[in-house]
Amino acid sequence: MNKMGTITGFTFKNKVKTKSFMVTTIVLALLITIGLNVPYFITLFNGGPIGGGASGKNPVNIGLLTTEQQDVAQKLEDFSSAQGNQAYRFIMSGDKNENALKEDAKAGLIDGYLELESVTGQEFPTPVLYSTDDISPQIITAIESALQSVKLDVVVKDVLTPEQKALITTPVKLTAENLSTDDGESGAASEKSMSPINYIVVYLLIILLFTSTMMTGNMIASEITAEKSSRIMEILITSVSPLSQMFGKIIGIFMVGMLQIGIFGAVIAGNILLPHNRAVLSDFNLSVNDINIAVIVYGLIFYILGYFLYAVLFAAVGSMVSRTEELGQAVLPITMLSLVSFYIAIFSISAPNILLLKVASFIPFTSPTAILVRIGAGVAPTWEILTSLAILAVSILVFGWLAAKIYRTGVLMYGKRPTFKELFKAMKAYKI
Amino acid sequence: MNRLELKQVVKQYADKTAVNGVTLNVKEGEIYGLLGANGAGKTTTMRMVLGLIHPDGGNILYNGKPYNTELQQIMGYLPEERGLYPKVKVSEQINYLARLRGMNAKDADESLKYWLKRFEVPEYYDKKIEELSKGNQQKMGFIAAVVHRPQILILDEAFSGLDPVNVELLKSTVKELRDEGTAILFSTHRMEHVEELCRQITILHRSNTVVQGEIKEIKSRYPREQVYLSTLGQVEGLEQLPGVKRVEQNERGYQIQVSEVTAAQEILKTAMAQTTVEHFEIKEPTLNQIFIREVGESNE
Repeated sequence: MNKMGTITGFTFKNKVKTKSFMVTTIVLALLITIGLNVPYFITLFNGGPIGGGASGKNPVNIGLLTTEQQDVAQKLEDFSSAQGNQAYRFIMSGDKNENALKEDAKAGLIDGYLELESVTGQEFPTPVLYSTDDISPQIITAIESALQSVKLDVVVKDVLTPEQKALITTPVKLTAENLSTDDGESGAASEKSMSPINYIVVYLLIILLFTSTMMTGNMIASEITAEKSSRIMEILITSVSPLSQMFGKIIGIFMVGMLQIGIFGAVIAGNILLPHNRAVLSDFNLSVNDINIAVIVYGLIFYILGYFLYAVLFAAVGSMVSRTEELGQAVLPITMLSLVSFYIAIFSISAPNILLLKVASFIPFTSPTAILVRIGAGVAPTWEILTSLAILAVSILVFGWLAAKIYRTGVLMYGKRPTFKELFKAMKAYKI
Repeated sequence: MNRLELKQVVKQYADKTAVNGVTLNVKEGEIYGLLGANGAGKTTTMRMVLGLIHPDGGNILYNGKPYNTELQQIMGYLPEERGLYPKVKVSEQINYLARLRGMNAKDADESLKYWLKRFEVPEYYDKKIEELSKGNQQKMGFIAAVVHRPQILILDEAFSGLDPVNVELLKSTVKELRDEGTAILFSTHRMEHVEELCRQITILHRSNTVVQGEIKEIKSRYPREQVYLSTLGQVEGLEQLPGVKRVEQNERGYQIQVSEVTAAQEILKTAMAQTTVEHFEIKEPTLNQIFIREVGESNE
C-alpha cells in the first residue's frame, strides 16, 4: 500500500512536470475560453446574419413593393404594426418600382424588400424576399407567420369573426406526460431534467469521458511501454508487486487527468459566470440554475468507474508491447470500443428510450456513457442505475485481475507482441 | 552461511527445458560466477532467483527460507540491459527506487549521496539521466542496484560497455560489497573478470550445468597444454620434439601447444642449447579455454 503511494506520487509528479502536459493544458484552456466567448463576440461585432442579434434594438427594414397587390401589402403592414415591437419593420414604398428599391437596398436605406408576385388563377401572391445580406431565420419565420395570417384574412374575407381568426392562427400545443415512471421520485426528477441545459451537461460529460479516457489511457499505456523498453521495468518488478505497480500508475495518471479536468472545469465555470456570457446563455433559454445535480454526481461516479475499466485495459496492452512505435496499433481495439460507446450515447441522446441504449446501459464498456444519457433524460429508474453501477464495479474487479495477470506476464516478454495464445502459454509457464 | 541456495532447479517452457537441474550455493561475502553462452539459461536462472518466475522443479532458498515478498527489500538487481528514466533527475529516480525497496526518504538520500561521492561524481545528483554519458548512466544503474545495501545482489553483465578505468572502479566496489558480506551472483561473458572476482563458478550450456566448482580446482582438472617461451635468438626444431602439437611464433616469443606436460622440459632444454632463455612458463588453462572446450563454441 505504502509502495503504491510512492508509485502514485512519482508518476503524478513526473507527468505534471513535463512540458507537454503544461502546454496541452494551457492551449486547451485557452481554446475553451475562446470557444465559450464566441457567441458573445458574435453579438458584439454583429458579424452574423441581419437580425441575428439578441433583441430588436435596430429592427430590420424591409421595403414592401406595392406596385402590385397593394391590398395584400397594406394588410401586411397593418398586421406587423399591430404586433408592436418586432425585430423587423415593413416600409411602404409608395410608388417606387423594383429598381428604385434595389437602389435603396444597395445604398443601405433598407435591408431588403419583399415582392408580392401575382400568379394568375390564384388569389394570393407568391412572396419573394430580396436582400443584400442574409436575413436571419427568426425574421424569415416572423414574416412567414405574418403572411400566413394575411393569407387567411384574404381567403376567408369577412366570413369569420376576428376572434375565430385568432383562434385558427393559434398553434395547437401538445403536452406530453410520462406514464411509465413507476415511482414518484424519478417522475419528479424527469420533469426537472428535461431542461435543455441538462442535455448540454450530458453531452459535455460524454465528451469529457471519451476524450479524457483516451488521453489518460494512452498515457498509461505509453508510460508502461516506455518503462518496459527502457528496461527499468525489470528493476521495478523485482521491487514491487505488479498489482500495486499497475494500480499505483493508474491512480497517478488518474490524478493527472483529474487535475486537468479540474483546471478545465474552473475555466468553463469562470467563463459561464462572467456577466456577458450569462446574457448569451439566457438568450438561448438556458439557465445554470436548471442543472440537475444528480446528473453531475452520477456523471462523476460513472466517469471514475469508466475510467478505471478502460485504464486497466490500457495498462494490460501497454505491458504487452515492447516498443512505443507498436503501441498505437495495439491499443486500436480499445479505441474502437470506446468509440462505439461514445457514438451509441451521442446518437441516442434525443431518443433515450430506445432498446439499444437500454441494453448498452448494462454492458460494462458502454454503460458509463449510455446510462448517463438515460439519467440525463430522466428515464432511468433507480434500480437500473444501481444495477448498471454494480455490473460496472464487478467488471472492474474482473478486468483488473485479468489485466494484472497479463501485466505480470507481459512485462517479462520482449520482442514481438505476443498473441493471446502465446500470452496464455507464457502465463502457464511462469505459473502466474 | 548460505545466503542463496538453488537445489535442482528446473524450468520448462512449453516445449523446451530452459534450466535443467541447477544446484548452487552463494555464501555471505562471496561472488559466484554464472557463465554460459547466449541462451544457456543464465537469465532464466536469475529471474527465478529474483522471484519473477517460479521454478517447475527443485527449490530456491534465501537465508534458508523460501521466497517471500519481504525479500524485495534485501535483494538488488542490475539487469543486463540496464535502464533508468531518461528524463528524470538522478536524485529523484534513485530515491524513488530506494523507497520502493523499503528505505525511508532520508536514508535513501544519504545513501545516494554516499555512492555518488564513492564514484567521484557528486555533481550528478541534479542531472537528468539523458544528460550523462553511457558509462556514467551505467554507474547510476549500478548505484540504483546497491543503494539500499542489499544482502543478495544479482549482477547481469555488470561491466559490459565500460572503459577500463570505470571497470576497475566498479570491480573494486564489487569487492568492497563482497567484503561487507553481500552475497553476489554474477553473470558475464568476460572470463578475465570471473577469474579475478569469483571463487566458485557454474558454466551452463544448453540448460545444463557442464562445469561447476572452485576456479582453482576446476583449472587443476584440466591438463596444462600451453607453454610460453621467450628467447633472445631463434630456436629451431621445436616442432620435431615429441609431444609438441603446434608452434606459433609471435613478436615476443613462442606459444607452444603440447599434448603432455613432460614435453615442456624438452622444449626448455632445446631452447637453452640454442640461445638465451628470457622467459619460460607452463601456463595453466585459462577459463576462456575451458569455456570454449566445454561449450564447444566461441563466446563474445
